[in-house]
Amino acid sequence: MSDLKLRVKEMIIERLKLEGMTPDQMDDGAPLFGEGLGLDSIDALELVLGIEQVFGVKIEDEAAGMKAFKSIQALTDFIAEHSKA
Amino acid sequence: MIEIPAHLPHRFPFLLVDRVLEREPGVRVLAEKLVTNGEPYLQGHFEGRPLVPGVLMLEMLAQAGGFLEADSLHGAAIFLAGVQDARFKAPAFPGDRLRLEVCAEGAFAGLMKLRGTVSCEGRELCTAALLVKRL
Repeated sequence: MSDLKLRVKEMIIERLKLEGMTPDQMDDGAPLFGEGLGLDSIDALELVLGIEQVFGVKIEDEAAGMKAFKSIQALTDFIAEHSKA
Repeated sequence: MIEIPAHLPHRFPFLLVDRVLEREPGVRVLAEKLVTNGEPYLQGHFEGRPLVPGVLMLEMLAQAGGFLEADSLHGAAIFLAGVQDARFKAPAFPGDRLRLEVCAEGAFAGLMKLRGTVSCEGRELCTAALLVKRL
């Protein structure tokens, strides 16, 4: 697992208080919302704030969110792409 | 100074903001609530020992948060969607001048997160994060 992906997973677990979950239990390809982790809109806002705080990357709008929150892999790629300022 | 009834749709006995002292829409609001013996809820909370219910301090913060919106909330649908990390550190009593400070922490997809503090004479009474949803 890449270092960034591990940090992304740890941020998700911490920010959303997914107690009992470990990074290696999280499926890289599963959707974050709906199925997969089954997150809701409050979780989405928490993730947006966490990503900004931890990685300095802003998710400006819902279109960017749709792309970034497709999966853990997509979110990792989104952060990698946007943190190269 | 902002006209409170023109901005908030809340009315007696549920309007819990008396004055807006400072206001930067989208960023920060500082407001005040003066607690008097005439508050209806104090008659029964509690008999002979009036103190402001903790949940009403959360409501005060939510109403103060309404002034983060640039426009009047009449006709707008804004609902409390969540409360996180609420702490009630000390009670508020009749005669207290409560200072309500609310800061916007972030927003995404119509949902906004606020951090609020109720204090009185420099002492924190209540702190919480509130999530409000605009429909």
